[in-house]
Amino acid sequence: MENYGSESSKGKKRRREEESAAESSDFDQILSLEKSLTFSDTMVALRIMRAQFPQIDKVSIQPFILQSQLYSSVKDRTRVDRDLESLKREKVLRIFKLNTGQDDHAIMFSEDYSSQIERVKKRSQEKKLGNLEVFEWFKTHVIDFKLEPSIEHHELWTLLSLGGKVKDEHISLLINAGLLTRQLIDPNMYWFTIPNIGSILKGISQGRKEVLSLLNRRRYKEMMLASLEKKHLRLSSLDMRFHLRDLIGSGHLKIVQTPTGLVVQVSKD
Amino acid sequence: MWREIGDREAGKIRPNAFANRFKRNRIESLQLSNHKDIVSAHRGSINSLQVDLTEGRYLLSGASDASVAAYDVQRPTEYEGNGIIGKHKCLFVVDRTHESGHQYAVSSAVWYPIDTGLFVTGSYDYHINVWDTNTTQVVTNFKMPGKVYKTAMSSLATSHMLIAAGTEDVQVRLCDIASGALAHTLSGHRDGVMTVEWSSSSEWVLVTGGCDGAIRFWDIRRAGCFLVLDQSQSQLGRRPPILDRSATNKVSSSKSSSPSPNLPVKARAAQRKLSNGSSMKQSPIAKIPAKGPLRQRLHPGMLSAQDRATAHYGAVTGLKVTEDGMHLLSAGSDSRLRLWDVESGRNTLVNFETVRLQTSKPMQLATSQNSALVFVPCMTTVKAFDMWSGRTDLTFRGHYECVNCCYFSFQDQELYTGGNDRQILVWSPSRLVYDEMDEGPHQDQDNWSD
Repeated sequence: MENYGSESSKGKKRRREEESAAESSDFDQILSLEKSLTFSDTMVALRIMRAQFPQIDKVSIQPFILQSQLYSSVKDRTRVDRDLESLKREKVLRIFKLNTGQDDHAIMFSEDYSSQIERVKKRSQEKKLGNLEVFEWFKTHVIDFKLEPSIEHHELWTLLSLGGKVKDEHISLLINAGLLTRQLIDPNMYWFTIPNIGSILKGISQGRKEVLSLLNRRRYKEMMLASLEKKHLRLSSLDMRFHLRDLIGSGHLKIVQTPTGLVVQVSKD
Repeated sequence: MWREIGDREAGKIRPNAFANRFKRNRIESLQLSNHKDIVSAHRGSINSLQVDLTEGRYLLSGASDASVAAYDVQRPTEYEGNGIIGKHKCLFVVDRTHESGHQYAVSSAVWYPIDTGLFVTGSYDYHINVWDTNTTQVVTNFKMPGKVYKTAMSSLATSHMLIAAGTEDVQVRLCDIASGALAHTLSGHRDGVMTVEWSSSSEWVLVTGGCDGAIRFWDIRRAGCFLVLDQSQSQLGRRPPILDRSATNKVSSSKSSSPSPNLPVKARAAQRKLSNGSSMKQSPIAKIPAKGPLRQRLHPGMLSAQDRATAHYGAVTGLKVTEDGMHLLSAGSDSRLRLWDVESGRNTLVNFETVRLQTSKPMQLATSQNSALVFVPCMTTVKAFDMWSGRTDLTFRGHYECVNCCYFSFQDQELYTGGNDRQILVWSPSRLVYDEMDEGPHQDQDNWSD
């Protein structure tokens, strides 16, 4: 998988180029900065993918990265998991569990998430709903403290009470704004969610099906990467590169090096 | 190889290192066996395989057509193909027509750990039967309230003879062969229990995995479980260095108190208490944050029933404790395989490249002797992962349908797998040419004969 870095300019496995770019910028600034700019490979991959997040007109949402996309661009998965865990503990980013599949997680940088909460708060203000102080309480007490993707009801209540007197309407406001959802299995637990993400989740699951059916319909269930990248997806508002990274990372597709370039195949297992 | 034997003789290689290197080479060359074939006597998918622990000679298999059979894997019953392929037919088979046989699928068949005179089978007809091998008669039988998913007996036990049974019911039951009655039950799971395993380091510790996604560790001498694994509690590395663990606890509590310096002292103390309460070890003094109307006085051992931490996002379908008892592997219906450090109870975050795992049935995992490789049935293949890095080392493709169970025999370095296609396949190290000299009846010839 190391050879893929030299592939097309729009290519996906640009890990080697990313690394060399980071190293050169590192070297330039090594005299002025001592600690920040320590890019592990995972961090470089996260920043590049955040920059590549497709622009969607209809929905205002901050960029997020799927965990399977990270697996496809950094070689060692265990290292990705451990790096994510340490970045999560340092509160650089936050991990959310999505309901699109068995094990889908979305990674969002903390500053993006805060701006998303601000946007939701402004929207609720415009709608002239009451109890808006709960957003502040949520931001200062709950988000900073609870790093896991889910939270129990009484713990949420206790943490919000550190800001003021909590009523049931406060929690309903958070749920309506899209920051929390109830778990289906256990009515006492909530998942943290990214607000306004519904249409994108639908796009993710339908886009996956579309890419897989596109390849499955072909006789040998494979296609050249260069021509696959140029295709447009009908059902998803996200671009092909996003879906390809996600499907390769989750193992549904695999990349094979051939004399004419990279070929994407549906994996048989 | 001869050079290595010479080195061992001279003292250059230690005997253990020599044996391990040799075994490792054999494991790396595992492939579908071309000299051993097990003739499956079953007409349903194979749910459970186990080779006996005393001699490593007899393979016991349980299948969905309510049949249980045993095979001798070291001596073939007949030879075929010019004496090269050994066919192993079953020594006996017990099925529905047997007077006290099971009526529905057999989900688990295990040998009595002390000798092969007894074996225990659990089935979807709610019964656990203990059979005498030589007469193939049922000696004792236990009725359970639900379908039996797994039965297990501890191989280390010297003072008890308990069969741990995981069923559709939320309670794990311990059945005693000596008295023929139910010893006690362990409650704490909130849904059926799909897998049970005894610890390989203590005869009193039982690990169970439930359909609610929780993995609990029980000391059977006490009430309640002493550890519930939580997938969000993780450590970076195989074992945490001693300072690191206390440092992360301090870091989390200091971070919780730093963002709000204006809070009254009481609230800060409440925050710190919460950060302590979220760690997995339960202390006997109730440290539950005040829950309001739900406050009830519970036995300290039963506090763990309130702990709703999950180890997987779906049901736990397979568990395996490593041989040294320090790590635990768990497979879940969220298609992930996780490696846990038993002593600290944390997820080591090793990512195994599993794409899809079977979700509706319990599955059997296997490890190689030094715990370097894990064999996992992934749909129609069996994959061997490196335990510490999660890379796929070997893939075994041979079954036509989903593989349910696999068993690795340490003595011969052979892997036995059984699946929905009713076959038991043997994967053995490839035989080198000079080995063919000593198998089967061969004509007495030397190199000079015509």
